[in-house]
Amino acid sequence: MTTAPKAPIVSVDELSVAYRSGSGGREVPVVQEVSLEVRPGRTLALVGESGSGKSTVAATLLGHLRHGSRITGGRVAVDGEDVFALSARELRRLRGGTVAMVAQNAGHALTPSMRIGRQIAEAGGEVPVTDLLEQVRLERPRELARRYPHELSGGQQQRVAIAMAIAARPKVLVLDEPTTGLDVITQRGVLDLIGALREELGLAAVLVSHDLGVVARMADEVCVLSAGRVVEAAPTRRLFAAPADPYTRRLLASVPRIADAGLAVVGEDGTREIRPRADSVGAVDVVDVREVTIDYGASRAVDGVSFRVRRGEVLALVGESGSGKSTIAWSLAGLRAPSGGTMRAAARGGAGAVVGGGSGGRLGARPGGDGPLGVSSGGDSDGLVGGASGGDGPVGGSLGGSRGGLSGVVSGAGSGGRADGPLGVSSGGDSDGPVGGSSGGDGPVDGSYGGDGPRGGSPGSDSNGSSGGSSGTSPGRDGDLAAPARRRPLALRRAVQLVFQNADTSLNPRRSVGDAVRRPLHFFGTAGSRGEAATRARQLIADVRLGPDFADRLPAQLSGGQRQRIGIARALAGEPDLLIADEITTALDVSVQADVLRLLDDLRRERELACLFISHDLAVVRGIADRVVVLRHGVVVEEGPTDAVFAVPGHPYTRALMAAALEPDPEAEGAVAAAEEWADAAEPGALWDDLGGGHRVRRWRPADG
Amino acid sequence: MFSFLLRRVAAALGTLLLSSVMVFLAVQALPGDVATQVLGRDATPDAVAALRQQMGLDRPAWERYFDWIKGALHGDFGTSLVTTKPVGGEVAQYLGNSALIAVVTVLFAVTGSVVLGVLAGLYRDRWPDHLISTVSLVGMSVPEFVVATVLVLAFSVTVPVLPAVVLYGPGAGVGQLLPAVWLPAASLAIVMAAYIVRMARTSVIDVMASEYVTTARLKGLTTWRVVTRHALPSALLPTLHVIALNVAWLVGGVAVVENVFNYPGVGKLMLTSVQNRDLPVIQAIALISAVVYVSCNLAADLGSMALNPKLRTRGGRIR
Repeated sequence: MTTAPKAPIVSVDELSVAYRSGSGGREVPVVQEVSLEVRPGRTLALVGESGSGKSTVAATLLGHLRHGSRITGGRVAVDGEDVFALSARELRRLRGGTVAMVAQNAGHALTPSMRIGRQIAEAGGEVPVTDLLEQVRLERPRELARRYPHELSGGQQQRVAIAMAIAARPKVLVLDEPTTGLDVITQRGVLDLIGALREELGLAAVLVSHDLGVVARMADEVCVLSAGRVVEAAPTRRLFAAPADPYTRRLLASVPRIADAGLAVVGEDGTREIRPRADSVGAVDVVDVREVTIDYGASRAVDGVSFRVRRGEVLALVGESGSGKSTIAWSLAGLRAPSGGTMRAAARGGAGAVVGGGSGGRLGARPGGDGPLGVSSGGDSDGLVGGASGGDGPVGGSLGGSRGGLSGVVSGAGSGGRADGPLGVSSGGDSDGPVGGSSGGDGPVDGSYGGDGPRGGSPGSDSNGSSGGSSGTSPGRDGDLAAPARRRPLALRRAVQLVFQNADTSLNPRRSVGDAVRRPLHFFGTAGSRGEAATRARQLIADVRLGPDFADRLPAQLSGGQRQRIGIARALAGEPDLLIADEITTALDVSVQADVLRLLDDLRRERELACLFISHDLAVVRGIADRVVVLRHGVVVEEGPTDAVFAVPGHPYTRALMAAALEPDPEAEGAVAAAEEWADAAEPGALWDDLGGGHRVRRWRPADG
Repeated sequence: MFSFLLRRVAAALGTLLLSSVMVFLAVQALPGDVATQVLGRDATPDAVAALRQQMGLDRPAWERYFDWIKGALHGDFGTSLVTTKPVGGEVAQYLGNSALIAVVTVLFAVTGSVVLGVLAGLYRDRWPDHLISTVSLVGMSVPEFVVATVLVLAFSVTVPVLPAVVLYGPGAGVGQLLPAVWLPAASLAIVMAAYIVRMARTSVIDVMASEYVTTARLKGLTTWRVVTRHALPSALLPTLHVIALNVAWLVGGVAVVENVFNYPGVGKLMLTSVQNRDLPVIQAIALISAVVYVSCNLAADLGSMALNPKLRTRGGRIR
């Protein structure tokens, strides 16, 4: 570290930028009186949530403004030159020559129709392309230079983007969310590379990020932006150790940490409190996946994966991209047929009643609530509703106090003959409806019905479920999730619902969000009349903690977090047994992520919803999941209760994942152990090392050499 | 890559085969057959039967189909009922004349409209865009015969620089026809260009807003380089298929325009043949149209392969 302060190479002085949308719209300030300085060799981080103006500020260093934006005050100087006073020719020389940018998503930032070698060469400079590729630690640079962007992995693409940026040996590097969208291990590699290059080339860097872990690791100074203004600016250590502004404190507190044993609840003043994990995990499996393999053409994406999700449980699938975690989710949702193994939706059992209750009011959801309770509450609040969903549990209803019976019961419950009886009777769906519930009809008939249908089909026939049903995995007429969604019976389609990562692209932009939630209600027949559907939709929107007036808005009028809530509400409309959450918080800001996670946690407590939570972010998983399954290249390498796995990770891959996770703490660096080399040592019949309590690790041995 | 190529070519051949069957069946389905056409309505049944036997019309349809196809592959489409000359030669002559118009049209319309479309896209919402978009909209909404008539009024009547109608027969040489080509070609080009301009404009706007074009700009490249190297390959992809469809449309468009100008092209031949019920000629022209159509689309597919490396290189990554 140099002692004599050099003159800043970047200085932004009282910069204000305004944006005008359309021709008639009024001007909206995007950046207001932002001042900052970066000295040679130093790294400044611009931190803030989406809409804070951080990317806008960063782009002005290259003299770039978004279409429709203009500078309303202040100046930006780089290497002594006023950027916005340059001629077109001088500006081109500045770009690339003095300041270079690494864009957020290299996959989109590389021209698809051009070989990467040419794209790098084009950026100018004297350094040969192969040398540059070597410099960003890419192997076989000669061959790589001839590839097209789509032939590279995400990490490789990002390295190529970095090579392109340093080609002309700039003095300042602008990094706009350089690792967002990469998984932890790749991210770690890219950050290490950036750090090393910074040293080698003596670069000053401006790092734009919403990820405080990345910032803590990379930055010398931090500038926190909120709504276009600088809220706080301080050296990194001081900022993380003693954040002065309440906004900074809240932001920091919202970041999930790998040591949290539950979800953090963040106070107005930035205090955080860890909420203990829910004890809502039931004993009944909702989904049972066994030895599933899924192929894409000749390549195997998922290889012999087994796991079960129990009612009320959050099971996390963790792994890098390419680990097969999303493939499994898609397959469960019926979008991709597995090539081997079985996937079954298991019993809904007495829980059917519970679900019924859940939909009518919260009452039924309480474990003690039992079938009858759920029933009645469903019945009185919105008759049909209760009827409909209660129907799921013809069983539940018929069982009477079924919850108790639930565990053993399920089976007995649904005895084919018996189930039919109540069915016929009750499909009227009045107060008693729940008992037989209209949809109960589908259940037994299709044999798909979440839980009971299936077990109902099993031999346990008449008994009141007083156990009969054995282990609950009897094949019989179980809901087979290997079938593609279009061939699943309606009830089974309802039972498994997927929430997408990108809430904005998964909602129809021309349809109000109320409509988006209403549609599945009609489709699944869970709401009878039009008015009732509207009521239900409003209720669901309220259930995801949004005001009733949201129903009339269009997705574009919602923030990212609100849209994701609507995505969840839409999934809940089917009254699912299993909610699949595929990276649902990945694209969200930390504080919004915290809210969505808490919502998910509330929902599973209230509705005893089972949730398959797919994420590459270990800290998030730590907070929300009851159990963790670690996947690598389509194979489970470790699984167990979250606390056990995080306390004593047994597999080197799990350890590598945990080591690569970044904590929002500049002091936490030393925690990373060197990655061990290992080889798979699992043999048929001796796949696992059991560590007890359901925690088991796929066998491995230290690599030879 | 090769399997993709093979599949495309196989599909093209399959399409052709299917369309040949349909053309043949359609002609078969017409009331009456060649024999009744030749002999006229008052012919005795005996005479018709005799002629049928002589022409081989009493054989089963599939046999005649295969004969026809076999001949067609060698350029022999039978003999015309009107001129009693071989159909192949006659159609080829007219086709050559039409090709002259087509080549001129495609050359000007495609290059011109792509350039205009790209310009409009680059100058989005400024006056060049407004001008180009308005003119192309007008071109789009006016049928080709109206455009042709207006052009005749302007360039043959008001300012008589180009001939309004062609006075030569089908055997005229290129030199004789060349002055007559411009007006028909211009009217076709105007109608055709409109679609291509609009498509090119939209895709250029999309691509110019993409992250990789921004990145290229921030690399300090000149606008020319950004547009030609980074934006155009991707922007032309969707345009390519619109061009192919429009070139194929020429086959039909040419018929109308040729009649307006009395140009001795294949469109003119088709109309006279229909009026004369010259079935072998109609059959030949229909088949040739199908060939043109299929080859245009095949060319577009090959073109997009050249522009899009994802189609050329293997697979890409797996999710």
